[in-house]
Amino acid sequence: MNRVIRAAGFLLLALAITVPARLDLELQFDAALAVIYGLAILSLVLLTGYVGQISLCQATFMGISAFGTGMLVNTFHLNYFVAAAAGVLMSFLVGIVVGIPALRLRGILLAVVTLGVALVFDKYFFLDSAYGWFTGGSFGWHVSGTHVGSIKVDSLHVMPAYYVLLGIFVLVALAMLRLHDSGSGRRFRAIRDSELAAATMGVDLTRYKLVAFGLSAAIAGLGGALYPLVVGSVSAQPFSFLYSLQFAAFAVLMGIRYVPAAAIGGFFMGFMPVILVRLSHSLHHDIKYDWFQVVLGALLVAQLILLPDGVWGDVRQKLDHLQVKAPRRKVETA
Amino acid sequence: MLIQLEAYTVIGLTVGGALALAALGIVLVYRVTGVLNFANGAMGMFSTFVAWTVIYDPGWSRLRPAFLPEQVWVWFAVLIALVFSVGLGLALELGVFRWLVGRSQLIKAVVTIGILLLLQSGASLIWGNTQYHLPVNVVDPQRSVMVARVPVGWNQLLVMATAIGLSLGLAAFLQWSRFGVAMRAVSDDPIAAGLWGIPVRWVGSVSWMLGSLVAAIAGILISPFINFDTISLTLLVLDALAAALIGGLVSLPLTVLGGFALGLLETYPRIWIQSQDFPKLIALLVILAVLIFRARRVLLEKQA
Amino acid sequence: MSLLSVKDLTVRFGGITALDQVSLELNRGEILGLIGPNGAGKTTLFNCISGVLQPDQGRIRYQGKSLRWLKPHQRAQRGIARTFQNLQLWGTMTVLDNVKVPIDALGKRSLVVDALGLPFATYAEKAANERARAILHVLGLLDHEDRLAGDLPVGIQRRVELARALAMRPQLLLLDEPAAGLDAAETEGLADLLTRIRERFKVSMLLVDHDMSLVMRACDYIYVLDFGKLLAAGRPEAIREDPKVIAAYLGEASAELPGAPEEEAVVVAKTAAQPTTPVFRLPDRPLLEVSGLAAGYGHLEVVRDVNLRISTGEVVACIGANGAGKTTTLRALSGVIRPRGGRVIFEGADITHDRPEAIVRLGLVHIPQGRGLFPKLSVEETLRLASYSGADGENLEPAFQLFPKLRDRRRQVVGTLSGGEQQMVAMARAILARPKLVLLDEMSQGLAPAIVQELFRLLDEFRNRGVAVLLVEQFVDSALAVADRAYVFEQGTVVHEASAKELRRDKGLIASSYLGSAPEPPAAAAHAGGNGHNGHTPLPAELMEDLMLKLPASMLRSLQEKSAREGRPAQALVLELLEERRS
Repeated sequence: MNRVIRAAGFLLLALAITVPARLDLELQFDAALAVIYGLAILSLVLLTGYVGQISLCQATFMGISAFGTGMLVNTFHLNYFVAAAAGVLMSFLVGIVVGIPALRLRGILLAVVTLGVALVFDKYFFLDSAYGWFTGGSFGWHVSGTHVGSIKVDSLHVMPAYYVLLGIFVLVALAMLRLHDSGSGRRFRAIRDSELAAATMGVDLTRYKLVAFGLSAAIAGLGGALYPLVVGSVSAQPFSFLYSLQFAAFAVLMGIRYVPAAAIGGFFMGFMPVILVRLSHSLHHDIKYDWFQVVLGALLVAQLILLPDGVWGDVRQKLDHLQVKAPRRKVETA
Repeated sequence: MLIQLEAYTVIGLTVGGALALAALGIVLVYRVTGVLNFANGAMGMFSTFVAWTVIYDPGWSRLRPAFLPEQVWVWFAVLIALVFSVGLGLALELGVFRWLVGRSQLIKAVVTIGILLLLQSGASLIWGNTQYHLPVNVVDPQRSVMVARVPVGWNQLLVMATAIGLSLGLAAFLQWSRFGVAMRAVSDDPIAAGLWGIPVRWVGSVSWMLGSLVAAIAGILISPFINFDTISLTLLVLDALAAALIGGLVSLPLTVLGGFALGLLETYPRIWIQSQDFPKLIALLVILAVLIFRARRVLLEKQA
Repeated sequence: MSLLSVKDLTVRFGGITALDQVSLELNRGEILGLIGPNGAGKTTLFNCISGVLQPDQGRIRYQGKSLRWLKPHQRAQRGIARTFQNLQLWGTMTVLDNVKVPIDALGKRSLVVDALGLPFATYAEKAANERARAILHVLGLLDHEDRLAGDLPVGIQRRVELARALAMRPQLLLLDEPAAGLDAAETEGLADLLTRIRERFKVSMLLVDHDMSLVMRACDYIYVLDFGKLLAAGRPEAIREDPKVIAAYLGEASAELPGAPEEEAVVVAKTAAQPTTPVFRLPDRPLLEVSGLAAGYGHLEVVRDVNLRISTGEVVACIGANGAGKTTTLRALSGVIRPRGGRVIFEGADITHDRPEAIVRLGLVHIPQGRGLFPKLSVEETLRLASYSGADGENLEPAFQLFPKLRDRRRQVVGTLSGGEQQMVAMARAILARPKLVLLDEMSQGLAPAIVQELFRLLDEFRNRGVAVLLVEQFVDSALAVADRAYVFEQGTVVHEASAKELRRDKGLIASSYLGSAPEPPAAAAHAGGNGHNGHTPLPAELMEDLMLKLPASMLRSLQEKSAREGRPAQALVLELLEERRS
């Protein structure tokens, strides 16, 4: 089973490398966005899926690094990638601070607090002219692009940025798969399954919860830091809490405990809107983006009732069951 | 300056009344069923748009008999919206939350986020999310009375009075009616309530219907004061959560007081500070402070 | 110096004192038992030692150092490991992973190394695997290493918890009801296992369990807690004979029961007063007929093949040790949990799969353990709710006549009433609802003896009204005194059915179902009443240190006991012994 999944993964990766180069600019742009969303969902797989901590402010973490990067590039004229690294660091630090309430709160209360954090940044920080030095004022930052060697990267040439993003996604995903079965991963999962048992079996809750929040914010921030390069500018809208809710919804829908769910979720989030638009063009019928959210909401409700482990999780389980059953049948016939 | 203060007080109390109204539904549902309903605002928004359709949609407003004054037609529309809201509450309980009994509070809350997305985008599909919608004016928006040299609109008074009246009415219902006592019993211990012969499932349905009804009332009364579209009412849920948390997610009168206090807190700073959003920060800081403070108590109770 | 020393520990939750000035000493290499009725504060004590809970007063010293400022994980790393009464395995992780977490926690492994999969991580992983497998091997769990812990049956989960605790390389192992949910064979195996583990892993243990046969077999020394206070301490043989302990477990009256002559008289008087065949009885069709009932929670089947028959107006007791399945049976009857098999017939109607609210309305009232009240409602509101189970909601008079006290307190919130008053509310509701059958679970739990007697008299009231009662009770003797018949539960099924009179005569049967049977005749009964153990004078530290290394735990305990009994320092005794030897 694992071999099949691995083969499928390689195949998809090959497609992800080769196909976008042949697409038009709009689809290339969406491919880059899909990876950015994928990273955001991946950050929830770590925080909620592995460690069991709820966060409804992943878009905020993305926003911090996006604005931070934009600010460093525009105000201090740093090299784009240096600025991006600094932006990710900012996300990491904010993540740790947001994690502090998690030392006290659990479950639903933590969800409300993180949603509150998302709103503070949304309504107050990202949009307030008083913080124009960070957010670039009401028009946000304009990012003209950068060069990698002699290759130009900007919003009209997104393929290099796409490959960088894809590379980052693959590396982070691999690291997380490795982490899952490592000592640290086990400690994370122990916190998720029973904090009480984890604490009394030598796991330092304070440290691991804060690290988890920081890392998760940083992973979301990786996507955020490259966002200005792809889009060409940073404004508050794409980091609103509605996106945070969507990330959470997609992560839960696809299977929040599984890394592949982030790839699937990111793909859908990135391409669904453009697919809807093109579909409505070809059908000569206006299909709005809102349908996407309606379907998402309905799927989420149905899935939580019917497939509690998410699409990927439950499909995987079914396949595993088939596999377990198959050899048993052989024994019977023998 | 003095008059300005009084004028701001009126605005603050109106905002507070709106928050309190929005919070009442959240508290009611949470208290009885244990579901923290993020979709409360969206449910109210949807019902309000039903009223809007009956009033302004040509297909519907054509049905108005000529002899009926417009205002009466509005009330008829509100009535339809309220009936719709009860149906919506029942549908959600029967179709969704009944199947989630015994699942964690968190799962239930995530489900309400799904419902939020569903209702909000569904509403924008039907009614469009960008354009400006005329509000549902239950009373004539032009009419006002002078209180302490400041004009107070009838609709402002209505929001405040309804918030107070509804909270007291619901509190009295829970306190004294047989069914209200049964609802409290279910919220204390649903398993024991079953052993007492209380129809636990029906109690759940009723609390969702009531919660949805209160959300609809809130949405309709608030619509003249906000930019009435699919998003603003949906988002009111977060400010409402702050008020609900001040009431500890339990006490209805305290929730209303919390709503008024928050409304004033959000409004008074505007006298001195020219920022639209700074006051929001106060509401959110209150949420954080109350949550962290309350969490400590919750944890202690758990240990005991 | 002992390994663990608890002194004057006090914990309060609101108004309730969960632990009241409790002191105990645990020597290195010892298995120390801690027993007591439900709610005696055993788990609270565990929580204090493992650092999950901060005590209000008192101190805990471990290896001579105070634990006051150490967080739970630091205590764990210093060698205090524990298991949990309500299993706290990491259910979505494999058994092997469960055991590896504490092993990792002892080493220093960093996140970065793990995520990058550096060679060091691979090496550490290998080492952890080997150690984990070694532990699983000792506990016979190797076959399950790749299963998810949450999918295993409870008996195996308990063993996995033990393995996980051992992986912490503990000096001190806290075992919280390791036998809960195990069957007789598994429990027997557990006692041996614990002894083997002590030899193999060189750990000391503090063991809490309700299964007396386990505690009596495995422990060197036993402390008895009751309502947060230390009731007694001593060797197992002495504890078994201790009248105070028997009273706490079997009820007040039992203390002077064995062979008490006035006993028969009471029974005769009772049978004379009550006709054994009430007028209402329908001999052909029982009121309640249960056949082949099976029920449980999650993966766990708690009761199976339970058969019961109850006739109108009969009082029937269910007796048996904790975890024997009595409460689960009642819950399945009233619809709180769905029976998995068998049939429940009430008044000729099949109610096996009905919802609780429907069953109540047929006249089957269940007063659950903890009384099933609503703490935030007032007495009057609560009683009015009885109208949902068939009472006349407005007329509360019958209840107030029976319990005049409740009339004075009718505006008071139920949660603030005393336990006895709460039970009165629960009983009053049952009177108001005019049921045909009342299921009463642990009516007397947490109540003072005088109130308990009063409540038992009330059962006659039910009988006089033609109401049948099915009773689950800790105070076996009081229960048997009012009951007509009794079912004896063991390991999740009914093993014996007899008239109450018969059972009262057969003391041995009851005692063995609660306190476990004696493995050997009590040897030269070491006297150990009251707090004899606590009064000992500690030996000088260096000498104790030396002794602890050289003396087996049981001998050390004898020494301490002797010193306590004779009121002389243990040092003097040791010197005396040495001198005797020399001369």
